[in-house]
Amino acid sequence: MNCKTAEKWILKSLDGRLDEPSRRLLDEHLSVCPFCRKAEAEYRSMLALLRPDTTEAPLPRFWERLEPRLKEEQKVVPLVLWERWALHVLPVFAALVALAAGLFIFTPQALELSQSETLLIENTNPFTETRSLFEEKRPEARSMMLIFASLEDKPSARRQLP
Amino acid sequence: MEEKQLVRLAQDGSQEAFEELVTKYQSKVFSMAMNFIRNREAADDAAQEVFLKAYLALPKFHLKSEFGTWLYRIAINHIKDILRKRGRAKEVSLEEVREISVADENALEKTEMERETEARKGLVQKSVQGLPEKYRTILTLRDIQGLPYDEISRVLHLSPGTVDSRLHRARRMLRHKIAPYLSQEGGSHEL
Repeated sequence: MNCKTAEKWILKSLDGRLDEPSRRLLDEHLSVCPFCRKAEAEYRSMLALLRPDTTEAPLPRFWERLEPRLKEEQKVVPLVLWERWALHVLPVFAALVALAAGLFIFTPQALELSQSETLLIENTNPFTETRSLFEEKRPEARSMMLIFASLEDKPSARRQLP
Repeated sequence: MEEKQLVRLAQDGSQEAFEELVTKYQSKVFSMAMNFIRNREAADDAAQEVFLKAYLALPKFHLKSEFGTWLYRIAINHIKDILRKRGRAKEVSLEEVREISVADENALEKTEMERETEARKGLVQKSVQGLPEKYRTILTLRDIQGLPYDEISRVLHLSPGTVDSRLHRARRMLRHKIAPYLSQEGGSHEL
């Protein structure tokens, strides 16, 4: 056994993790190697010095001091949770609004149809309404009817009522 | 009451259950903080903050590991944060440590042997502080806190082989630092 392996086994042995056959081999090595004997003594002493004599206790009234801090945190937590929740929800909400706006903008609007187009779609004769105009015998009345008919087609030309 | 049951009750909002868990672990968390921070008030404050963090994280704890293991992990991470904020601990001069330890007023009232032991304890503990963080952590968990290997492996998220080799290196480093003060003959042998 070389001294490097012996050192590993010394520490395993001090941890109580060395099996019996290895322990015997280590003992044999220690009996002939003064350096490893010294190392074992030093490790033993070092580990003993590291271990505390007693478990250290915190300052008095540990729980009594902790409890108000927990209660204080409890008040803050719902706010923090809301903030976290909002942080996740807000981008989704913004995306939905953007999507809705996009749909609204890019959806093709229904075309405004002219009167004659409407009549054609409704499969109605566009000349039915003008028949009375041609049948009117009096020229003054016909002129008035024409004027009113033209005004119906151009609503912007009418004077706006207050 | 069983620990898992206490944890479940605490998760449901029972302060009494959480108080029982705190009572069970407060000394362990405090002594761990004390080993790293070396100041009673600061270690006590750190221990309080560890329990505060644990309390807030309790809903996320799914009992996949032991409560103690989970708590130690929080404690280690919190203590590391504190030390990082404070800045890297200075290398401790062994001569200075020896002087401080021997000059301890209480030590004067004790026997020669007791004083010598206390001085050595102080020296060893201070020397641990001078080790690189990863070695100091593993040495504290195993040789000061006395945690079993498998628990250290879970707390630090390390494989058992890494725990073994890192601990070996940490002990070796510490021994080399303090060897002259451990034996009267002095000197050390490179293995």
